[in-house]
Order: sequence, then structure tokens, then C-alpha cells
Amino acid sequence: MLLVPCPYCGPRNSSDLRHVGEAISRPDPNAASPEQWRSYLYLRDNVADWNVETWYCTRGCRKYFKVERNTATNEFRDPPMPGNKIGGKA
Amino acid sequence: MPEFESAIIKTYAPNPGASMFLSDESATTKLLVRSDQAQFGLVFGASSAVGEALICATRPDEWLILGSEPAVDAAAAGIDSGGFTNVIPFTHGRSLFRLTGAHAAGLLEKICGIDWSDAMTPEGAVTSASVALTTCDIIRHDRNGIRSYLLMCDRSFGQYLFDALLDAGDEFGISVE
Repeated sequence: MLLVPCPYCGPRNSSDLRHVGEAISRPDPNAASPEQWRSYLYLRDNVADWNVETWYCTRGCRKYFKVERNTATNEFRDPPMPGNKIGGKA
Repeated sequence: MPEFESAIIKTYAPNPGASMFLSDESATTKLLVRSDQAQFGLVFGASSAVGEALICATRPDEWLILGSEPAVDAAAAGIDSGGFTNVIPFTHGRSLFRLTGAHAAGLLEKICGIDWSDAMTPEGAVTSASVALTTCDIIRHDRNGIRSYLLMCDRSFGQYLFDALLDAGDEFGISVE
């Protein structure tokens, strides 16, 4: 099981989230060449190392977030974490 | 507003002597507030009683008001309508169940990946997760010192979730209430 550190919900089973993929920046559609646009749409580095990824918390907070994961070991580096406890009575 | 009718069939035989109870509270008035403004002083994961209504911070930018219609209307007066704020009647859109019993957390641990210990989910905790593969908002709302959870899912999944909870609760002696 892969525990993904959601910055809002805390560590969650990866089945509660959707792996969106490598976090890449979108080129300006008015200025990008066809090659740049094709690269943005289809080409990925697919590294076996530390990689910044986008995840979507489908079952929890329904937020997109970025997190750095080692694709070879599945470790997460410096995950942004909420408090240990989930809410409680205000 | 049309009269509310729950999606759950009413053919279950209740057992008053059971140690765990599941009740269909779908008729509870539900009002959803989506806003980019902080509402009710509640951060994601917390809940608070305002009068007889229960306000739950179900997402970082979403709050849910539960209760009788007058209580929800009274609590809704406290909504900060500044910024981009939507208030959506949700009574007909969601099924709401209450699971009560000393071993209610044990049942949820069978079908949900959240840590239901007191340390992680104390009284009043609000979270959202997969319960029997159905996306649910779950609120810990104890009754008379007995563990109790409110589970809310899309109305169309209500009958399935109700039956899945009864199935999972069989070993704990669950009954409908």
C-alpha cells in the first residue's frame, strides 16, 4: 500500500487519490510552437529518481496538490502535512 | 420544496436489543456552503453545534449545515456571503445514516482506511473517505457518550451503502433503528 501525504487530509491510501502525473508547466498557448505543445501534452521524463508529481484527492478534500516522490523507492520528500489529528469539536 | 422521501427501502426488521444500530436520517435538512471565505470559524475537519444545528467543515472550502429546517435556517444566518459564496440545499441530494455503538469504529475499520482511534478522530472530527468504495463525508457525533458516526453519501449510493454497513456490522450484532 502506498500512503500519499495529502496536505489537507494527511496520509491516505493511494486508492483514495488519483495520480495525475509529473508536474509540468503549461506553455503559453499563444506563443508555444507545435513541438513545445506536443512535448507538454505527450512527453514525460519518467525518471527512476525524485520527481515532482501532481495528485488529486478524489475521496477526501478534492484538491490537487504537488508532492515530491522517489519513483524507485516510493518515498515522499518533505511532504506538506496537516496536524496529526483530524479536526474535532470546535 | 417537495416532500422528502428517503431512497432506502423500509423492510428491515429492527432488533431493540442489538448492540449497534444503523438509522436512516436522510430526511435531515442539509445545506451546503461553498465559499472562498472562512465560514463559522471552522477549519477543515472540525464541527460545531450552533443552536440545534450541526455545522461541519467537510472540505477546505466547503461547510455543511445539518439539522431540522428551522435550526438550519437559523444557523445559515451566520454565513458570510462575501467573496464567492454558494449556498446549496442538499437535503434531496444526499443520503445520511447514523451508525451508533461501542464497536462502531471496528465496523468502519473493516470498510474504510481512516484511523478511527480517539487520538486521530476525536468527537466532532469530520473527514471524507472511501467507505465500502463509496465516497462519504463522515462526522463523529457521539450520542450520550456512545460512539456514533454520521455518514453521508450521494443519494444514488444510499441503498448500497446502507446494505454494505449492515453486512459489515453483522459480526457486531447490528440492527436498523
